[in-house]
Amino acid sequence: MTDVRRCVWFLATTLIAAGVWVACGSDVGGAGPSNDLLIIGYDREPDLLNRFSTHILEDIHSCVIEGLTTTDENMNVIPVLATEVPTLENGGVRLREDGGMDVIWKLRPNVTWHDGTPFTSADVKFTVEALNDPNYNPESTDGFDRIESVDTPDSLTAIVHYREIYAPYAIQFFRGTFPKHVLEGRDIDRATDYNRNPLGTGPYRVAEWKTGEYILLERVPDYWRGREYPRIRRLMFKFVANTNTRINQLRSGEVHIVALVPWDKAREVRETEGITLHRLVGNSYEHVTLNQREFEPFRDVRVRQALVYSLDRELIVNTILDGLAPVIHGPIQPPSWAFTDEVRHYPYDPVRAGELLDAAGWRDADGDGLRERDGQSLSFTLITQAGYAIRENVAQTLQRQFRDVGVGMQIRMIDGTAISSLWFEGKFQAMLHWWHMPADPEITLFFAKDRIPPAGRNINYIENDSLTALLYASDRTVDMDERRALLWEAQRLLAELVPEIPLYNVTRLDAVPANLLNFKGNPTNTGIFWNVHEWEIR
Amino acid sequence: MLGFVVRRVLQAVPLLLLISVLVFALIHAAPGGPLEMYLANPNVRPEDIERLRVALGLDRPIAEQYVAWLKGFIVGEWGYSFTDGRPVLQRLLERLPATLELIASAVVVAALVALPLGVFGALRKGGWVDHTTTVVSFAGISLPVFWVGLLLQLVFAVALGWLPSSGRASFGDGNLPDRLSHLIMPAVVLAAVHAAAWSRFLRSSMGTAVQQRFILAARARGIQERRVVWWHALRNALLPFVTVLMMDAAIMVTGAVITESVFAWPGLGSLFTEALARRDYTVLMAFLMMTSAAVVFLNLAADVFYHALDPRVRVR
Repeated sequence: MTDVRRCVWFLATTLIAAGVWVACGSDVGGAGPSNDLLIIGYDREPDLLNRFSTHILEDIHSCVIEGLTTTDENMNVIPVLATEVPTLENGGVRLREDGGMDVIWKLRPNVTWHDGTPFTSADVKFTVEALNDPNYNPESTDGFDRIESVDTPDSLTAIVHYREIYAPYAIQFFRGTFPKHVLEGRDIDRATDYNRNPLGTGPYRVAEWKTGEYILLERVPDYWRGREYPRIRRLMFKFVANTNTRINQLRSGEVHIVALVPWDKAREVRETEGITLHRLVGNSYEHVTLNQREFEPFRDVRVRQALVYSLDRELIVNTILDGLAPVIHGPIQPPSWAFTDEVRHYPYDPVRAGELLDAAGWRDADGDGLRERDGQSLSFTLITQAGYAIRENVAQTLQRQFRDVGVGMQIRMIDGTAISSLWFEGKFQAMLHWWHMPADPEITLFFAKDRIPPAGRNINYIENDSLTALLYASDRTVDMDERRALLWEAQRLLAELVPEIPLYNVTRLDAVPANLLNFKGNPTNTGIFWNVHEWEIR
Repeated sequence: MLGFVVRRVLQAVPLLLLISVLVFALIHAAPGGPLEMYLANPNVRPEDIERLRVALGLDRPIAEQYVAWLKGFIVGEWGYSFTDGRPVLQRLLERLPATLELIASAVVVAALVALPLGVFGALRKGGWVDHTTTVVSFAGISLPVFWVGLLLQLVFAVALGWLPSSGRASFGDGNLPDRLSHLIMPAVVLAAVHAAAWSRFLRSSMGTAVQQRFILAARARGIQERRVVWWHALRNALLPFVTVLMMDAAIMVTGAVITESVFAWPGLGSLFTEALARRDYTVLMAFLMMTSAAVVFLNLAADVFYHALDPRVRVR
């Protein structure tokens, strides 16, 4: 017995002594946010910091590498390294007789790369050529492959010659450019020095990348906007993959910013002292894709309309999403200049849904609660990504509300990577998911009849000639008012056709320090750091 | 002895080869591939995906891909990560120290807890130590690691503010107390399951040992009770335990996967989770082959160690 006691005492005293020592020595909780150091809890470690090669959102990248333009919190395209955004009106865009177009980029003078080399039009030309070089494998060459050549009449002018009219030209260079003097003649895929510590013109440069732990950025001494920018000396992006852990770190003060807080965590975060929850209507939307090729009944517009009428979307939004994200009625989101709400709405109306299904020939003849026609039951399977509590709850609500009008739905949860290959091959009947929409309102990829996979992402498999014609016309229109009119028409048509069921806007919730000034957020995949040079802790 | 070791090493080669075929087939059979993550991004067009598929060699038949991988693997060219284009070996090696640190600490913690609990449990079956240990160890075995981890974070980081909730150091490499404070929670969580299992194991093997006749003989010769227990009985009880400990140390690498992701510990486990989500085949293959090899060789080491400790099982 003495042995037992002695051993227990020994263990206990050792543990207490060690605890006291560790607690005294470490700085738990960390200091609060300051103009010296701001810590961001980031959901994943970037693969690369090369903006053209990376496959993740370019938050960290955009602090280092600046585009010729970027998009602001209202999704307006604003100039950064360009002096202005080229348009038809200011003479920056010329339509050629042969059907092509020229875009004239005027570059800001006195901008230098972080090594002191001047930033010039030669860098723009080099970037286009590098991206079109078959030996380099960027994530996307979208738009660049339509560029014939680039002329550089002087060091601050780059004239980009497109083979055809390309409406989203204004954000062509939002990822910035490559430094020609660093990358010329090199294999960019293997240029690890650049890919992990890129040379940019932005307010910050990479001070340290501690693999698996964090990336530390430090301010550059003479940023072109003036020596007073950026106001915060260091930014630390700490990689914390687990969402619960990230929220715990925010609450314990170990990180100061967490972007994209899940809606069901909003209350927990809001109660945290010193933290503000910044809410911004986003550019993505959650919806149910109805695959007309795999489930024949979806081809009848009355069935699709009935499905929308049968859903109480306000209820979903007010309960599961805590009222934080609004119901929407189409693919183009409120922050876009091309958005219109003057389209057909489908309020919750189960009676109307029943009438439409009756008219389409779907009736519950055998009294089992499910409608059928010619021996086939109106019942389909919905797939959605596993691991999101919110999606699981939404899917169950849909199931219940469809059931109330006699439509059966089974739910299958699938992991993130597996679900991508399923939908890309069109092997599903319905899917609950969202698209991350780019700042430009191009939706041709999702709804034109010749854009079914693998040529695009029309996974509703909708084939409508007027819609297709409208969308292609809008892509080939540079004049903003004309393009808007075409897209409004397309949105009205989409609301009539309901190829998919729009549910709610993917509203961004970003948790930031309450004393952070000039935080504006961003609804698109440009990310929240587009104006990081202005940020300041009061 | 040397012949035995050589024979066992040679036996390990076909085993590892078989493992590599199975693992390669399995990860390629899993739905989705390294390019699937691009699909959700509307900026990436189908043409881009096709171009990348060819560039990464994913358009070739699977057998051809395997042979190409195997040839490279044998000569030490483990390829480049699909994620960031850096050499796979470099990505694994930079994560290795963190994982070794975590596993070594967890083994020490688990052994320190399991040893006294197991011994006293066996000596005083039915006593309060024994009962408490039984309850606590069943709890330790049953509770899911991620849940215990998050609970500890809420208590010690959010509510009490005593320990940092995650990571390996506050900044840079940190000082020793800072590093230790980061290590405590993940090491304890990782150790918990094993400490529980090991104390049960020791309790039973110690229980058998103290009933042996040589223990009775030792007592009859008037040897001090403490020496009988801690020298004669424990040495025998520890023999099977050494095998368990070595095997479990290898298995901890897989247990560390969850612990590391809950505590954002920058080791191989979190690299594996990330590579799995992105279907980074080259990294996955290298990681799985490394852990398989570790299990095979720790198994061998356990055998060798066993022989050294116990003359009775020496091979002829």
